Amino acid sequence: MKIPRALWVAGMAVTLLLAGCSKKQETAEETSAVPSEQPAGGTPVDPATAGEITGKVTFNGPKPKLAVLHMDQDPVCVQKHSSPVYAEDGEVNGNGTVPNAFVYVKEGADKYTFPAPTEAVTLDQNGCLYKPHVLGIMVGQTLHIISSDPTTHNIHPLPKNNPEWNQSQAPGAPPIDKKFARPEVMIPVKCNQHPWMRAYIGVVKNPLYAVTGEDGTFTIKGVPPGDYTVEAWTATWGTQDQKVAVSPKGTATADFTFKPGAGT
Amino acid sequence: MPPESPERDPVTSQSLSGLLLISALLLVLTLGWALYDEFYGLRPWKDYQRDFVVRYTAFLRRQKPKQEAAERAIKASPEYQALQQQVDALQKSVEPELRKLDEQSALIDQRLAAITGKYTDAHARVTYMIWEVEHNSGSSKRSWQADLDKFKKGPFRFEAVSLEDGRVRTESVDYDRLESEFKSLQAKKGELLVRKGELLRPVSELKAKLDAYFKEHMTGLTAAQIQGLIDKTQAMDIAIKQINNPDAGIVDRCESCHLGIREPIEITARDMGGRRVFVSHPDPELLKIHDPEKFGCTPCHNGNGMQVDSVKQAHGEYEHWLTPLYHKADPRAKSAGAYMEAGCQQCHTNDMVLAHAPVLTAGKDLFQWRGCVGCHRYQNYDPEPEELTAAQQKLQQLAQQRAEDVANIAKATQAGDNAPDNETARQFYAQANEYRLAVTNIDLQTDQLNTRIKFLQMDRKKVGPDLKEVRAKLRPEWIPVWLKNPHAFRPTTRMPRFRLDEDELPAVAAFIWQSALDVKLPSQPMGDPVKGKASFESRGCQACHAIGEGANAVGGWFGANLTRIGEKVDYDYLVRWIHNPRERSAPYCPFEKRDLTPADYQKHGLPYVFDLDHSKCPNDGHELVVEQMTVMPNLRLSWQESRDIAAYLMTLKQKDPASYPPAPYLNDPQLKAKGEEIVRRYGCAGCHEIAGFEDEGRIGTELTTEGSKPLEQLDFALYIGQAKREGWWSHRGFFEHKLARPEMFDDGMVKAEGEELKMPNFFEPQNGDLTKKWGLQDLPPESREQIAQLTTFLLGSVSSQYPARYFDLPEDQRKDIQDGWWIVKKYNCMGCHQFTLDQDSVLMTLPQYQTPDGKGQLPPRLVTEGARVNPEWLARFLANPALSEKDTDRDGVRSYLKLRMPTFYFSPIEVRKLVRFFQAMSQQPMPYIPQKLEPLTSREIAMARALFTSKGAPCLKCHAVGLPAHDQYATAPNFLLAADRLKPDWVKHWILDPAMIDPGTAMPSGLFRQEGGRWVFNGPTPPVFQGYEGDHADLLMRYLFELTPAEQQQLIRMTGAGMNATAAKAQLRPAVRGRAAGR
Repeated sequence: MKIPRALWVAGMAVTLLLAGCSKKQETAEETSAVPSEQPAGGTPVDPATAGEITGKVTFNGPKPKLAVLHMDQDPVCVQKHSSPVYAEDGEVNGNGTVPNAFVYVKEGADKYTFPAPTEAVTLDQNGCLYKPHVLGIMVGQTLHIISSDPTTHNIHPLPKNNPEWNQSQAPGAPPIDKKFARPEVMIPVKCNQHPWMRAYIGVVKNPLYAVTGEDGTFTIKGVPPGDYTVEAWTATWGTQDQKVAVSPKGTATADFTFKPGAGT
Repeated sequence: MPPESPERDPVTSQSLSGLLLISALLLVLTLGWALYDEFYGLRPWKDYQRDFVVRYTAFLRRQKPKQEAAERAIKASPEYQALQQQVDALQKSVEPELRKLDEQSALIDQRLAAITGKYTDAHARVTYMIWEVEHNSGSSKRSWQADLDKFKKGPFRFEAVSLEDGRVRTESVDYDRLESEFKSLQAKKGELLVRKGELLRPVSELKAKLDAYFKEHMTGLTAAQIQGLIDKTQAMDIAIKQINNPDAGIVDRCESCHLGIREPIEITARDMGGRRVFVSHPDPELLKIHDPEKFGCTPCHNGNGMQVDSVKQAHGEYEHWLTPLYHKADPRAKSAGAYMEAGCQQCHTNDMVLAHAPVLTAGKDLFQWRGCVGCHRYQNYDPEPEELTAAQQKLQQLAQQRAEDVANIAKATQAGDNAPDNETARQFYAQANEYRLAVTNIDLQTDQLNTRIKFLQMDRKKVGPDLKEVRAKLRPEWIPVWLKNPHAFRPTTRMPRFRLDEDELPAVAAFIWQSALDVKLPSQPMGDPVKGKASFESRGCQACHAIGEGANAVGGWFGANLTRIGEKVDYDYLVRWIHNPRERSAPYCPFEKRDLTPADYQKHGLPYVFDLDHSKCPNDGHELVVEQMTVMPNLRLSWQESRDIAAYLMTLKQKDPASYPPAPYLNDPQLKAKGEEIVRRYGCAGCHEIAGFEDEGRIGTELTTEGSKPLEQLDFALYIGQAKREGWWSHRGFFEHKLARPEMFDDGMVKAEGEELKMPNFFEPQNGDLTKKWGLQDLPPESREQIAQLTTFLLGSVSSQYPARYFDLPEDQRKDIQDGWWIVKKYNCMGCHQFTLDQDSVLMTLPQYQTPDGKGQLPPRLVTEGARVNPEWLARFLANPALSEKDTDRDGVRSYLKLRMPTFYFSPIEVRKLVRFFQAMSQQPMPYIPQKLEPLTSREIAMARALFTSKGAPCLKCHAVGLPAHDQYATAPNFLLAADRLKPDWVKHWILDPAMIDPGTAMPSGLFRQEGGRWVFNGPTPPVFQGYEGDHADLLMRYLFELTPAEQQQLIRMTGAGMNATAAKAQLRPAVRGRAAGR
């Protein structure tokens, strides 16, 4: 029996009251809120008010001894150099400045739209070295890989967030064009046949980046006014970031000083 | 006297109308109520169904425009448009021809229509007349023949269009003409159809391409499909939805309320206004493997499938219903799918890995790893001891049978000798021969069994270390500290804490110490701890062993955490252990039931040598136990490297071992007997080898079907009331509480000494007070997670009511996969290797393998191993990964890796299972019959040589060739291994695009490009390639399979310049270094 007898009588009385009004039972189930969607799109950069970020990357500590790159396993590589070639990671200039540091606007520029440039970034393999050693590229921008060496290379980026690939390029083979879909700082690139070869690619969402030159300085141009977090990356001592404020048409300075030991 | 008024007749004077009215009213009300109940009260699922129709329709209507927009976007895409234009253009181009064909076809149809009737009538008549001609004779035959001839002359008249000018004419023909006309028309019609098909084929192919493009880019359903769903939903009957498989006892009405479960579109609770009951199944893949029409719902989910009266009853969550619904854990917990996955176990007992059930899979692993299997029997786990016993018994039976047969030979021979006549004698002698043959058969069977026993002995492992070795291995003072609470010394240890009291602990320690073998190991010179650390971190030790505790731990979990190893262990012993962990101090004879000594060998004039090649007892010929029962493999390290690693490990300590309090009682002989009794009581021999306990069985209850044990039989002791009040009066509640604090079921019980519950503590509160009573909630999250995993496993461990065909008991290659996973898990192969791309090995997560160079040092992925290697080669490699009897301090394939494949001393039983596992994982047929490759012509050999030695071909830069000066840079195996090791098909796929097989491999893609249907080398080719029409990848593959050492030498000679330059430059290096230092 489904219903105890005592309830029958009571039930009959109640029935009258209930007649006609059907009772909907909602079981106790949570209703999750619909998250509001982020508005897409952004503000275009006004070149009239854009400023720049400039600075210098230095290393404060004893100059590291650079390893010599032994290319003797491939005579083609050896022939391209008349003097010993040193590793580029950890290089410090006489005045303590650091070349090949990658400096980019890490935070603060998301509200602007930066279409990926149509011109490609070129990575050359010359003398069994990558030229340039450190480069920046925007998400969706073309990386144009060429070889100036009469030997076979393979280009093997080892990303964490982008798909990994490893492409052979024989002498005289056509250039290889690739794109990266997701921002990632940095993607190391190696050649499995010439294990000393190393490049680093910084894939970023905006064109606000620069690589320090031989003098250890950098300039990031076309920065709309605002507050930013700028990060400097080095292959040997890891990363540092700092906040900068760029005023309309102004120049903000961001200097970075690395110390020994703080490596990644 | 007043006139007597007659007594009033109650029947006439009293009215019952009031009562009747009330009754009538009540009756009406009851009817109303009954009707209400019928439509609303008793059928809750009707409300659900009406609600579903409303919400689902609304949801679908919201979806439709989105999908329409998506469709439009795809159709507007340039690729689609281009295809569409191609279709249109092509269609247009064939149109005139098509129209012509259609016109012709119409004409033929008209003409056929006119002729067909005439012809079929005439044909029937002719056929009939021929039959008469055939079945008559004499004059009637002739008469029929005459009639036939006359009929055939016709004339047959019909009006039909002419195919030439399309005009209608009356034609008159004889029968033969009529027939030929009919047949030719039919043939023409067929021909036209074929031509039309050919004309339209490119169009339909292009259309298929267009459809394929659309399908490829369209995610989800099309608008039309959604409209179909809307129509279907609108037309849905309000009725019970039921899956009925009477032969399996499945009657599931769950879908009467869970209406969205099988819908082809993903439905979330949010889509349905928060109504979780209507969501679609979260794992449609699972439904594809388990067709709901066959499996229903309850075999996986439990609950009461027939009930539709209330949610509670349908879910089986009321008293006495034996299979309540399996629940998910808290969705925020790591093991969110917990408990629900228990449902997989009843059919998947043989599977160690279930891709869709990570919690259950973890529980299965834990049952082995935690050592539950040491005390509790569970089908399939640790089967070797039982198989050994069975084999021993069979041996005894055979010995008995043999003795009988031998006696019978003598008897029959004697009877023959004394037989009265030759005939009888011959019969007896024949009988004697039968017995002789039987004896031989028994001997052969005995040999087989002995081999099997040897193999089983090799595969038999113990969860814990061999306690016969403690005198050589351990510092004595450390033993009581460990026994008191292993977790205090090593938080992640799998050794549980036995609740030994003040008296018991010294006794156990003393027994263990005194029962151990008294051996003295050779003293080892001290190694170099710095080199040892480098070896430890590069040889692969960390795939199993971690150093550091908690968040600082670096390395795997499978083996012991070595953070404090230096506090407990003896250096000399550690060196021997690292050099070969399988080495024993003394062999054990299961027949004599004792450890043998050098004297046993001396007696028989034999050297004291015992290993897998010398495994017979010198006294009685029985198979000895010659190996340690550990899964730890032999890394084939040199003695020096073993010393270095041991020296490093000895530095790992948190406190000075000298600070341990002395334990002189270890040598007190009076404690031994008591200790022995306690060791037996707690079943220590379940996990450890202990002298005198070799044949000890498991002390715990079998758990294979523990999940279906009646609740009343689970020992809740004094907690029944509380469990019912607090809602854990269930199997799950019992398992969880028992695992969290096993002794809780002794609380309040009056028990004699030694009668307490024996199950030790596997989980404890962190830094908690162990004298306090703790509960599940006091345990750290990792412990709670492990308990959830084990509980899931136990919940699912039921004796199933479903027929065998519901179980996952394959007999094809899937069985090989099932069997193989047990071995893979047993030896933690996944510590180093990836078997599927979604499973990371332990090594892959270590810091030293994160850098670009480090990644190149990882062991090979085994995702296509079965397709890659020849199974016979694999069997050889697994048995001897050095691929050499003498030169063992190396890896047989990848000599360039610091890591190396260790020797596991798999028995042939396990080797076979592993080989079959790999072949099955890659759907490779067994046995493997190598395909015959076309031999290279002399031109092809010249071409291959030229290509291999040209500057454009990078092969020899990375692949080892056996020259030390070259191989120091090698990052890939020697090609000489290919012919023996690899399968040609795989090699071809590999060289064309290795990233399709092993994403991230050092081997580059793009070595070949397609050109006119063949693959050609993607770079400058030597002149000898001029005019060669063959496939270059195929040529190289065939060359690799023909490569001989002499040919490789030839290649090296030809490369000459490059290789010699390498060697020469190698000499120059110090000079260059010197200059570098000056910079």
